[in-house]
Amino acid sequence: MPGTVRRRAPSPQWLLVAPALVLLTAILLVPLGRSVSRSVGTPSFTFAHYEALFTDGVTLTVLIRTALTAAVVTVITFVLGYPYAYLMTRVGPRVRGILMVVVLIPFWTSVMARNFAWIIILERHGPVNVLFKLFGLDLVLYESVAGVAVAMSQVLLPFMVLPLFSALGAIDRRLLLAARGLGSHPVAAFWRVYWPLSRGGVVSGLILVFTLSLGFYVTPALVGSPQQSLVAQLLGQRTTQLLDFEGASALGFVVLVVSLILVAWANRIGGTISAIGVVATNAPSATKGRS
Amino acid sequence: MRSTKRALTAVSATAIVALLAGCGGGGDAASDDPNAKATLTFVAYGGAGQQAMIDVYQKPYTAAHPNITFTNTSPPDISQVKAQVLSKSVKWDVISLAPGVATQHCGELFEELDLSNVDKSNLVEGTLGKCYVGNWINASPIAYRTDAFPDPAKAPKTVKDFFDLQKFPGKRGVLTNLQNGILEYPLLADGVAPGSIYPLDVDRALKKLDTIRAQTTFAPTVGALQQAAAAGQVDMFILPDSRLVPLMNDGTKLTVVWDVTVTALNGFAVPKGSPNRAAAKKFVESLVTPTAMAGISEALGVAPVNKASKPNLSENAKKVEVFGPVNTGQTVAQDVGWYAKNFDSATTKLNNWLVG
Repeated sequence: MPGTVRRRAPSPQWLLVAPALVLLTAILLVPLGRSVSRSVGTPSFTFAHYEALFTDGVTLTVLIRTALTAAVVTVITFVLGYPYAYLMTRVGPRVRGILMVVVLIPFWTSVMARNFAWIIILERHGPVNVLFKLFGLDLVLYESVAGVAVAMSQVLLPFMVLPLFSALGAIDRRLLLAARGLGSHPVAAFWRVYWPLSRGGVVSGLILVFTLSLGFYVTPALVGSPQQSLVAQLLGQRTTQLLDFEGASALGFVVLVVSLILVAWANRIGGTISAIGVVATNAPSATKGRS
Repeated sequence: MRSTKRALTAVSATAIVALLAGCGGGGDAASDDPNAKATLTFVAYGGAGQQAMIDVYQKPYTAAHPNITFTNTSPPDISQVKAQVLSKSVKWDVISLAPGVATQHCGELFEELDLSNVDKSNLVEGTLGKCYVGNWINASPIAYRTDAFPDPAKAPKTVKDFFDLQKFPGKRGVLTNLQNGILEYPLLADGVAPGSIYPLDVDRALKKLDTIRAQTTFAPTVGALQQAAAAGQVDMFILPDSRLVPLMNDGTKLTVVWDVTVTALNGFAVPKGSPNRAAAKKFVESLVTPTAMAGISEALGVAPVNKASKPNLSENAKKVEVFGPVNTGQTVAQDVGWYAKNFDSATTKLNNWLVG
């Protein structure tokens, strides 16, 4: 483009991306654009469908509930995933293979089988309920947000463990030795050397899990109850029961924008590290190359 | 660089045009001839119900009309009909639905039907509408697991009892679809006479539901509530007859409370602009014949819309036969006209109450 800073001419490598771009345009961008235009253009240009979302007294409640659930799931998967990923970097290839398979099993299981299994585990008279009863608590997690959070955490654990594993595996452990050699306490060495180096993977994992949680449909629909609806169920009702395509488009777009804002924000606090799962050690050099 | 960019644009534009072109289905000359060779896409709820429809409706129809065959799919999602109609590429020919929905979107999403040839002499009132043909009546009685209230003297006997947590403690199960009486039963329990229940006072119904909310599982699908009843998650529940029969067949002991029972018509419609609409319209008219009716009642335990049909019911199906000798109480038939007018507002109120 004339008048702007000259950039490097793109190499023919760009052609390799073309099929993906075409596909994305056709199956993602075009429908998304039509959805957005429907939400503001029916019957004529209006924000009424957006206004209705925030004034019906329900959408906002459900959005907040969804965000809280997503946050809880993110914390659970992080607390479980970080030590797990750490362990994976410290064991031999055989054990690592086993650990990897264990974390990926929910990935390979059918969605329906997994959710029905959770129903049986969490329902009244089920194992979890029986266990609680031993401690004098008649708690049923089936049809509760807590039950949904547990089931979602299992499904989303790989999305936390995999980026963490790739980030932690790239950390040079000799830096820890050096810190210890210079008189650091092991805890301080972890906190001041290891933790900052792992932050890229942490941010990637947090973002992946959080944004995926926002759109969960099957698990809350089956393991939860209509009384504890999350935003995807609200979208489902609007489309399938009320045939309110405009309202559903508006709600979907709001969720998308919220997700994008969160990703952008996390990208900033993650520093130069990309949220889309780029390994920590690669990120700085890649950024340098661009700027 | 320019040329690369231009090539890219051209490639993507071509792809999009090709995709869009693929979506616009071409007109079909055969669509207006009811006897032309056609494969009707038949959409129902799947499972045992749809299998029964294949056996009872489709196979005999193909035997009598060799030009007409069927492909089956599910679920009958009305939003898909809307999407198909909006994008002018209707793929479905016959769809199972609540008659209220067909009436609400009559002429807009569903074809108007010419039902002048149908023999109406033995049909239950309301079986035929401008845009639907009713094919059976689902009763959704109140029932309880017999083991939850083993002493018949202390067991629930009325609709009021369902809403009385003091006298009859236990978990309740209620379906969130409007077709199964979630709004009618609370009003009946609140003292509204069965004969004057329409127009429904939705706010009053929800207020009554509030009183059992803490002890009630609100199930979004019949399958979920059937499973919960079988597993003892709920003690007393409102399920359609076609689900109570398999529940009993699988060994769950239950007792039906015959006080006032809400019934709903199930129907079929033809999506607007269906590629085989003439053949589809002719087919849906055949669903109310006494033989078709009897077969579906025997298979599913639902009530026939044709009074001339004589189903040979199983032992368990007789226990839920809403128009049979077992029912010592009254019935309330859902008002198709009221639902056609108020479906959206009632659904919104109910959903808001549920998630709030």
